[in-house]
Amino acid sequence: MARPAANLPFDDFAASSLPSLEKELSRSLPPASGRAPDLSRAIGEAVLSPGKRLRPLVALAAGELVRAPRAASGTVAVAVEYLHAASLVLDDLPSMDNARRRRGRPTLHLVHGVATAELAAVALIARAFELAAAAPETTARTRSRVVEELSRAIGAEGCCAGQAADLAADPSGLALEDLEAIHSRKTGALFVAAVRGGALAGGAGEETLESLTLFARNLGLAFQITDDLLDLTGSPQRMGKDTHRDAHRANFATLFGEASSRKLVEELLEASVAALSPLGRKAAVLADLARVVRDRQT
Amino acid sequence: MTEVSLEEARRRLRELGYLNGGVERFVFRRAFAGRGGLFVPAVLLSAFAAAIASVAAVAAGEPGFGESPTAVGALLLHLFFADLPATALLAAVLALAADQSRSPAGAATFAGLTAAGAVFFLWIGGAYSLSRDIPARAFLWGIPVALAAMLAARSVRSGFLARAYARSRVLPGEPRRRVFLAAVITGVVAAVLLLGLRPRPAPARAPLPSPRSMPVVVAAVDGLSLDSSSAGGISGIRGLLVTGVTGWWPARQGVPPEIWSDLATGEPASHHGVRALARVRAAGSPLGVRPPLGTAWYLRRLAPALKLASSAPVSAADRRRLAFWEVAASAGIPAVSVGWWASGPWPGCDVVRNEDVLAGASGGLTADARALGEFEKRRRGGQGIATVYLPGLDILRDSNNEERIQAAEQVHRFLENEVSRAVAREEVLVILAADSHPAPSALGRMVVFDGRQPVRTIQVRAEDAAPSILSRAGVPAATDLTGRPAAALFPADSLERTTTATYGPRLAPPAPRLSITDREYLEKLKSLGYLQ
Repeated sequence: MARPAANLPFDDFAASSLPSLEKELSRSLPPASGRAPDLSRAIGEAVLSPGKRLRPLVALAAGELVRAPRAASGTVAVAVEYLHAASLVLDDLPSMDNARRRRGRPTLHLVHGVATAELAAVALIARAFELAAAAPETTARTRSRVVEELSRAIGAEGCCAGQAADLAADPSGLALEDLEAIHSRKTGALFVAAVRGGALAGGAGEETLESLTLFARNLGLAFQITDDLLDLTGSPQRMGKDTHRDAHRANFATLFGEASSRKLVEELLEASVAALSPLGRKAAVLADLARVVRDRQT
Repeated sequence: MTEVSLEEARRRLRELGYLNGGVERFVFRRAFAGRGGLFVPAVLLSAFAAAIASVAAVAAGEPGFGESPTAVGALLLHLFFADLPATALLAAVLALAADQSRSPAGAATFAGLTAAGAVFFLWIGGAYSLSRDIPARAFLWGIPVALAAMLAARSVRSGFLARAYARSRVLPGEPRRRVFLAAVITGVVAAVLLLGLRPRPAPARAPLPSPRSMPVVVAAVDGLSLDSSSAGGISGIRGLLVTGVTGWWPARQGVPPEIWSDLATGEPASHHGVRALARVRAAGSPLGVRPPLGTAWYLRRLAPALKLASSAPVSAADRRRLAFWEVAASAGIPAVSVGWWASGPWPGCDVVRNEDVLAGASGGLTADARALGEFEKRRRGGQGIATVYLPGLDILRDSNNEERIQAAEQVHRFLENEVSRAVAREEVLVILAADSHPAPSALGRMVVFDGRQPVRTIQVRAEDAAPSILSRAGVPAATDLTGRPAAALFPADSLERTTTATYGPRLAPPAPRLSITDREYLEKLKSLGYLQ
């Protein structure tokens, strides 16, 4: 049977949302400091370097799902992208992954130095919370819950915990549960925060949040396994970042093997879409994200 | 680092809270590739469920069928493949509906419910049409039918959702698993209510006879071509019969079981239910069955044309009306019946079935010899009605003259002896001469020898034979019968004058263990020239 000529809701949504999102990312940058121009440039480069913007788009889509005010979900989306950008800067540092390329460009610490890169990351995190705490067209309780979600994603139980565990791990002795603990925090947590934050901006109920969380957890793990597969098989030029970095480290692709990893990605994506089914047709954009993750090449 | 197997990875990821969706995850598997491929399992499972339902209906309506795994398996296989085109067509329609659906969740659930309903309809409707008397153990088939209906419903729903998602990326709403469970439970309850509590026709009160002192002997001679000048060896019989009182009717084309059941029951085939060689035997099955609801197009038409099914002989279970020997036995008049089509055991009646006579016969001559031997062995006197069916001349209709002459002489000797006893008022003799393969314009005849009567000839109907015989034996005629006693064929005042409303339907007693399988019976019939 030939592939049907279906519209692809996420692609349509991304095409219509990305221009305004890019503007918001740019507009929301911390005011340039005359005393630290290099820091301001580093912050700008960290945020505005070309990326897929998956996480903010997820936040926007979740907001649209619950009919959140565009300004509110847009603010959450920007905050999420700032946190993501900060996590990438930190992840690339010599004390961490010591990466050389990110998003097709030299990593931030190679351009601006380690100290500036670290400061830019801290500034981005602070800016993210500042924006979330002042999200327009939301109640104080909503803002508080969004901040809470973002904190949990990036903090000692989220990205930081995942990164710490990753650094401390013995690559040869990692079990599946260890890897999951690392990556659900490093990658999955921000996906969960994005989707929940976007939905919270629209006042989503607990059942909706539960479905979205299940969706994001499965999607996040699928994303990570895909990332591991691309790291094994992709080229630096196509990926826009260093590849084969994890050859000496345990990851899902090496733990499961390539064929099983691909199978698990499919099943995780199926589960993620299935988790959205109680939300019906209005979740079409998020559901289509599964296809995007499956087909991703970078 | 030890590589983790796929199964192990799945298990451990599930423990960590992954791979659990709100609806069946597999619904979306092929949909990701842009295909509604789940309609293939829907087609297969629906065809399987329909076949199971039809087989369950046959098991409910055909005593002994469910006890033969080979028969069940063969019929299931046939019907599964027969149902595939229909389910594929329906799946195609559903696919179109899924493409257009703006509310796939509700539509998919409706489609699933319809599939489950259709499965139960085939089971209940099939069993309902095949038998009025469903044995309790037949309800055990409700388990596989219910499971199959559930599978069909869920696969149809999943297929619909997958297709809808593949085309429109529209997700279903809340899962509807319990709806199907409720539907299946409803179906089983409906089956129990409709089949189990169906009012069974009460056996009619046995007619009160006024037994006569003389027994009635009925000799049924098939293939007696009295109207054909070329038929050899029957001049003696012809000469004998013209001395009796003859009732005639225009013969009609038919096959032996149908024509002789008209005579035995006093009803046309539309009432007694024995129509030709009405059963069909699917290739690979040892048993013939009546096609259940919705399968006649395949079992009666397509499969025989493709040599995947053949006609099978009827059995007593096919007959819905009582034969005259059964009525007599029910009325307390001892009866003997040898060799009749569609006959079977009956309380109070000594019955030798057609298949048992034919089983040991190598041709028409030996078939008649066996029938006459069994008849003589059983008629020890005292029976109110004794009857024998002689198929030899019909079997030998295309045989060489010498063998046919021998068979005719054998019949002649038998009839001559019986006529002499009848003339001596030791018995009443009724000779039924109805050719199963009559020439155009041929006649069927009922020739009566009842003491010394003036020779005469009158027109009667074939259906008059049974009530006439019964009335002569002292059994009140049933007013609901198509046939009526032909009083003109008998001495005045010799027939029972009282009547009864009905003899009632034939409610079959439990089927006995077959001494000869349908397949063997079929082969024997073929070897004797039937079913050609």
